[in-house]
Amino acid sequence: MDGEKNRFVHALRNPLNTISINAELGKLTLERTGDIRKAISIFDTILVECQQCGHVLESLQDTRFTHVNSGGSESDEQ
Amino acid sequence: MADVLLVDDDKRFLDATVQLLSLLGHNVTAADSVAQARDLISKNVYTHLILDLILPDGSGLHLLEVLPAQNKTKITFITGHPSIKFIVKKLYGSNISYLIKPIDLQQLESLFEVNTPVPAKPDSSNNLHFNYLIGESAPMKYLYEMIERVAATKANVLLLGESGVGKEMVAEAIHYASQAEGRYVAANCGAFSRELINSELFGHEKGAFTGATHRKTGVFEQANKGTLFLDEITEMPLDLQPNLLRALETQKVTRLGATTSVDVECRVVSATNRTEQDIAVSGCLREDLYFRLAVFPIYIPPLRTRKEDIPLLVQYFLAGFNQEYGGEISINDISMKRLMDYDWPGNVRELRHAIHRAYIMADQHQKLLVLPENLTSPFSKIAHQHQAGIRVGKTVEEVERELIESTLEHFDGDKKQAADILGISLKTLYNRLNSYGNVEL
Repeated sequence: MDGEKNRFVHALRNPLNTISINAELGKLTLERTGDIRKAISIFDTILVECQQCGHVLESLQDTRFTHVNSGGSESDEQ
Repeated sequence: MADVLLVDDDKRFLDATVQLLSLLGHNVTAADSVAQARDLISKNVYTHLILDLILPDGSGLHLLEVLPAQNKTKITFITGHPSIKFIVKKLYGSNISYLIKPIDLQQLESLFEVNTPVPAKPDSSNNLHFNYLIGESAPMKYLYEMIERVAATKANVLLLGESGVGKEMVAEAIHYASQAEGRYVAANCGAFSRELINSELFGHEKGAFTGATHRKTGVFEQANKGTLFLDEITEMPLDLQPNLLRALETQKVTRLGATTSVDVECRVVSATNRTEQDIAVSGCLREDLYFRLAVFPIYIPPLRTRKEDIPLLVQYFLAGFNQEYGGEISINDISMKRLMDYDWPGNVRELRHAIHRAYIMADQHQKLLVLPENLTSPFSKIAHQHQAGIRVGKTVEEVERELIESTLEHFDGDKKQAADILGISLKTLYNRLNSYGNVEL
């Protein structure tokens, strides 16, 4: 399960990172330059990354992870 | 304002962070691979390096190896896993920062805050000459002058000096002083296997020989427009030396298996721990090759001839270890005097090892280096014996006397130890000393 979980964590962390850095960039762009067009393109990037996160979450919902219970017997796997 | 090199293969993140750092007033250069970053580092100086740990063509950690020694660039790794922080810290010391994803402005800005410097470090790095060399003694000042002179030319340099004097450091200093466009590439001629030496130097084409699965560029090509350092040049097999001579004469190399040659223009700095006389007598280097390599010979002084530099070197090494291990260890006057009294036959390398060993043994309460009772290493004893100097014209008696006296001096007059190491009885030693008139028994 760990490998599977890590894959999702990684797949979410990267778009989240891009969202975070672009949100900061958007704020700073408006504060320092007031460039609305630039800010809009930054928000577009954020939206694309949000959609990416949405896809990952959807596939996460469809995934059934392998569980190892205390008795050691395995349940279902994707 | 900082000069930043940002290395990440996530294009969207890279673009946004470049813009963000630029808005913050920094000069930012972006790279999306190890190869591109390596190239940029070799040509530019950055105050900050922000690196992704995992890149398509390798790890960001590989770039640490490319940085010049004692480099002051601040290194920051971008990671998604805080746990990696501890692993890297263990491997590369504490002088590395981390950005944990998702990164925000506060994290980024913290990288550029001026932190209070680690004590002793700024002073010690200010003492560097040509970014690599330490020492204010007359022999070192002469060496700096030689480096400055040769750096202004394209002449090949032969570095001569005992083992451990820092030949590679001088080679890097020459490259630094030359402000060459190309890279500094180092190769050890003594370490190449006989079969592979030509391929290492000149490269090979795919399929040139069994096992040549890829095309490979040799060190000559890698150092194009830069500096090629060939260490232990005198250990290169004599029958393979004509190939090197040809490359130096024509400034062209042909990869093994290739039909055409490639132009290469680089300064060759070679090095040996043999003396010029020894090179001539032993015939380990072809005469024509010697003259090609030694257009400008530079002799690097042994540490025992510049003992006034020992405190500077000790402080420098100490500051480095303190920074690496996050400690605050210093040295007292008694230990420093002992270090200055010793002859260091293994030169700066031996001194650095001694400081490292003493650092590990340091008294953590008093925060002081603890030197071993006996500073000598097995190698230094051998070197001492050589130093006693057997030369034609000396009588057996003179050599024996010199051997006995230098052995006694080595053991601070301890006759029992001297007799043991000389393989003679204590009685014989006393008899000999009597005959020399050394009456203070």
